[in-house]
Amino acid sequence: MEGKSYQRFPRVKIREMRHDYLKFELRDTDASVANALRRVMIAEVPTVAIDLVEIEINSSVLNDEFIAHRLGLIPLTSDRAMSMRFSRDCDACDGDGQCVHCSVEFHLRARCHSDQTLDVTSKELLSSDHTVVPVDFSDASGYEASEQRGIIIVKLRRGQELRLRAIARKGIGKDHAKWSPAATVTFMYEPDIRINEEMMETLSLEEKTAWVDSSPTKVFEIDPNTGKVVVVDPEAYTYDDEVIKKAEAVGKPGLVDITAKEDSFIFTVESTGAIKASQLLLNAIEILKQKLDAVRLSEDTVEADDQFGELGAHMRGG
Amino acid sequence: MFNKARKQKRRGSPSIALLHFNSSLNIAWSKFCEEMELGTLSDPSQSTFSLIDEDHTFANAIRFTLNQDPRTRFCGYSIPHPSDNRVNIRIQTTGDPAKDVFRDACQDLMVMCQHASNTFDKAVVDFKMSKSVDGMDI
Repeated sequence: MEGKSYQRFPRVKIREMRHDYLKFELRDTDASVANALRRVMIAEVPTVAIDLVEIEINSSVLNDEFIAHRLGLIPLTSDRAMSMRFSRDCDACDGDGQCVHCSVEFHLRARCHSDQTLDVTSKELLSSDHTVVPVDFSDASGYEASEQRGIIIVKLRRGQELRLRAIARKGIGKDHAKWSPAATVTFMYEPDIRINEEMMETLSLEEKTAWVDSSPTKVFEIDPNTGKVVVVDPEAYTYDDEVIKKAEAVGKPGLVDITAKEDSFIFTVESTGAIKASQLLLNAIEILKQKLDAVRLSEDTVEADDQFGELGAHMRGG
Repeated sequence: MFNKARKQKRRGSPSIALLHFNSSLNIAWSKFCEEMELGTLSDPSQSTFSLIDEDHTFANAIRFTLNQDPRTRFCGYSIPHPSDNRVNIRIQTTGDPAKDVFRDACQDLMVMCQHASNTFDKAVVDFKMSKSVDGMDI
């Protein structure tokens, strides 16, 4: 075997972790891998969302398809999603997509009897599977009772009624955004900030304060005891170069040197609640491995030189 | 024709299908991973792999991994048209068949993903332990 591959293995360190929020550092890997992870988290991690709605009675002010669209966007707890089958692949129900193995059934029945407006919320959506339910957004402390009602689907007046049956299926964000489990996933390069101490010494306190304040985010601070400029939060730096321009404006170029470390990333993952943020990352890595598996084991690479015509011409520079 | 393709389908994972060419028709199923390889008849050390239902997510990561392999002389990817869900990956090697180098790169990337997954699990455990040491409310 000729020389080994030069690949390195990534390191991970978690900064912050809550149920739907995760901040971690990913080091010793390339931007393409970090971006692949980000794209998979947004578009290819499967979840469960309402996909088919049968409306029996609807006398509300919103029309049927409006309500069906809103129902599809409600996030459902999708821990089962990775092990579920896509309903088009399900053999138990002939691809009908309504059997127990590949779908979850929901009911909603609401009628307003009183003169007060009735808010039909996601909490009134009743599931046939207790592991797949609309995400509960209520605060753990729960002192604000009014905020625990769930997502409002429609409001009803006296005499208006809504009755429907909905089927939720597995899908991925690529097909429709309702299936995307991620609210936002971002990553930034970790900045490497070096202050030129000798040049900094030649500045007066007012000049230092002015320079520190020129940054839109609080990256630097003046230590009250020593009067020196210190880096208080390097990751608040948004690569806007304001401090560099300010240093040049006061006639001191090279006062600070800020570079982005090319193989060190800070990821921020916020999930919709359908999947836990940490589980979202693990599922994303799993999906990426499945894709690689599919390509690697593909034995059917078709020799397509003659039959490819225009594609061959394109590749040969035509 | 189609029966022969269906027998290779595996449930619950991205499936692979044999692509049969009619004279002018190009039949493909969605969500299957398909590959077409060009340029292999004359010289196996350089090929273009055309993957269906893939995009920058997969192609950029595999291009990076291919560059790490010293057997690769050249590698790159292109997306002929954004509306077509297709990506072409070009590999030229120093002698080994391009197919093998491509497969090894997939293997390397898989190992890296598995390592990332394990490292992440360990990091979660470490984080939870450090949090429970600092404050008793998680």
